Amino acid sequence: MVDLAESKAQSNGSIPLTQLTRGQSGRVQIDGSPTDEVKMLRAMGLRPNASVTMCRLGEPCIISLSGACGGGCRIGLAKEIAGRVMINIESHSETQPDGQANG
Amino acid sequence: MAKPTGELSMSSVDSLPETSNRIVAVLGNPNVGKTTLFNRIAGIRAKTSNFPGTTQDARHAQCCGAMMIDLPGVYSLDLEVSESAVCRQVLDGDLAPAGVEAQVPNAILVVIDATNLMRNMTIVAEAIARRLPMVVAVNMIDLAKRQGIHIDLERFGECIGCTVVGCSGKTGEGVDELMEAVESAKIPDRSAPTKLEAIEAWGDDIYSLVAAARQTPANDRLTDRLDRTFTHPLLGVLTFSVVMTGLFWVIFKLAAIPMDLIDAWFGTLGGWVAGLLPEGPISGLLVDGIIAGIGGTVIFLPQIVLLFFLLALLEGTGYLARASFVIDRVLRPFGMSGHAFVPLLSSHACAIPGIMAARSVPDPKDRLATILVAPFMSCSARIPVYVLLTVILFPDSPGMQAVAFTSCYVIGVLAGLFSSLIVRRTILRGPSRPMAMELPSYRFPDLKAAVMLTYDRAMMFLRKAGTLIVTISIVLWWLGAYPNSGAPFDPPVDATPQQIELMTAKAQAKNSFLGRIGDTIQPVFEPLGYDRQLTIGVLASFAAREVFVSTMAVQVVGSDDAEDDSVLASIANATRDDGTPVFTRATSWSLLVYYILAMLCLPTLVVTAKEAGGWRWAWLQLGWMTLLAYSGALIAYQAVSLLS
Repeated sequence: MVDLAESKAQSNGSIPLTQLTRGQSGRVQIDGSPTDEVKMLRAMGLRPNASVTMCRLGEPCIISLSGACGGGCRIGLAKEIAGRVMINIESHSETQPDGQANG
Repeated sequence: MAKPTGELSMSSVDSLPETSNRIVAVLGNPNVGKTTLFNRIAGIRAKTSNFPGTTQDARHAQCCGAMMIDLPGVYSLDLEVSESAVCRQVLDGDLAPAGVEAQVPNAILVVIDATNLMRNMTIVAEAIARRLPMVVAVNMIDLAKRQGIHIDLERFGECIGCTVVGCSGKTGEGVDELMEAVESAKIPDRSAPTKLEAIEAWGDDIYSLVAAARQTPANDRLTDRLDRTFTHPLLGVLTFSVVMTGLFWVIFKLAAIPMDLIDAWFGTLGGWVAGLLPEGPISGLLVDGIIAGIGGTVIFLPQIVLLFFLLALLEGTGYLARASFVIDRVLRPFGMSGHAFVPLLSSHACAIPGIMAARSVPDPKDRLATILVAPFMSCSARIPVYVLLTVILFPDSPGMQAVAFTSCYVIGVLAGLFSSLIVRRTILRGPSRPMAMELPSYRFPDLKAAVMLTYDRAMMFLRKAGTLIVTISIVLWWLGAYPNSGAPFDPPVDATPQQIELMTAKAQAKNSFLGRIGDTIQPVFEPLGYDRQLTIGVLASFAAREVFVSTMAVQVVGSDDAEDDSVLASIANATRDDGTPVFTRATSWSLLVYYILAMLCLPTLVVTAKEAGGWRWAWLQLGWMTLLAYSGALIAYQAVSLLS
């Protein structure tokens, strides 16, 4: 699955969620027909164009989903799922340089 | 609460019909404060049952002329998970909580989170598509205000075509207005899309029209820091250990006071009834069967109450989700998920509520594995046996007693993990559902919700376990009490009346049905070093493990006052029929291993059969645990015998 995600990354400039560094943000990109897993993730808020920030790396990882007008929620995701979610990179927080060590 | 006006109730033909059996389904995402709002509305009128044929709890209450049903929290109705299936069936009129007649609900109360409006729009669209009278409750409106989120409720209502009320289940703000709106709920005069992409676009449009806030919630940085600590590979485990130690300390130390009081009260009651009635079968049935049976169950209530209250508080703070997260890493290699954490933790008080808590495990295979291994966790009922045997093994070393006592818990957990690994590699083969869990915001816990949940769980425990344990205790009492005469014997000429009474009691115990069963089955336990008396103790434990100490007391001293130190000493120094000690070092180790690993609890088996969906799972649990216990005890006995 990760290989598939990486090949997609090369073709359209997006990367799997698992490759975000801590504090890095991006927008969710979901292609293809919704499977049960995708439907669940979308219902939880991981939907196309949702803004996502990596809060904690590792297995499982923690991401933060932000609404356009504040609010949002945090989701713990297994690597297996996170590797299948593609992200268009948006920005990188400069405030958490110790992030790499925590993963 | 303000009463609805006649104008409101008669305002539309689509209004909620004024019938006596109106049903209002309360629908919403998980973590939106739906249960807190439901508790605020229903108060002590709320009842907990289950949806027949499912493992989902059903809370319902008769309020304001309608039966309100709190549906399981779901992110969407269109998901292949049991919670969504239950919600769909209830909304279709095919399912209702036990005791409530199934019918299409007369209204839907959709509860959404004011601090996370965008995501909640999916469930709103799905509710609108049902074409039933509905009202939307924008809950946690107080929190949204504090976070600087503003929602134009009137405009929101116009966009979706039904009444929208801002409220807070925690403070009660807007709840009266909400109930008025529910009583006059109307079918939305607007429609919503049904395709996923269209629902998302529709939700985004409405969201941008009705909500405004500052970009970054102020508490994000704090949440980040707390999350980093609580889920850190080292700090997270350390925090978890501290929290769990505190939890167990409270459960075992604080609960000891009410447990002693309950024990003393039932002892006094038994003594009073025994003094009131002439000695005979009725007195025996009441004192040794019913009162002892009820007392044996109720004594564990303080631990259960404390456990669930503290768990509810921890859940309310948002920490429990993080703890599940930490434990997920440990459990995953053994074929379970972090969702199994609460059931396994609860099982340390009693396996029955633990197995019932496994309903929260979303993956069916994970859930079955959790149910099957839950009884390996050392429950409170094992404590008297652990105490007895560790004292016998290390009579002069409290330090070694403590080490042995703790080791019992560790061995239980390791046996559970090992069993889960085996079961997930054989009969429950296949991948687990990968973890995708919402981590709720850190909040101050809701004390009222914690109290109500604790009350629910305590009543459920008493109803399910109490009745069964009492029945089994009565049967066991009968087997042990009849025939109520022993083989005739000639007492020594210098025997005191107490010694004669003791010998008579032993002779009766040997001649009773239970004694005869013990004689028949004893050869099976011979390789483990158990004599007839120990075999009877083990057999009696099938009713409930805690029965072991009192059964041994009855056999060796003819008194069931096992709390008395001298009685415990008498058990430790008990002799077999041939005069050799019952509790040798090898036998004690063997018995300790047996009690850690064996399934010695009939009520747990019944609950396993019910929750796992068939008796085959209960038999599997019994067979596997007995096999492990027998093998472990055999190895322990033979090894210690050789070393001695």
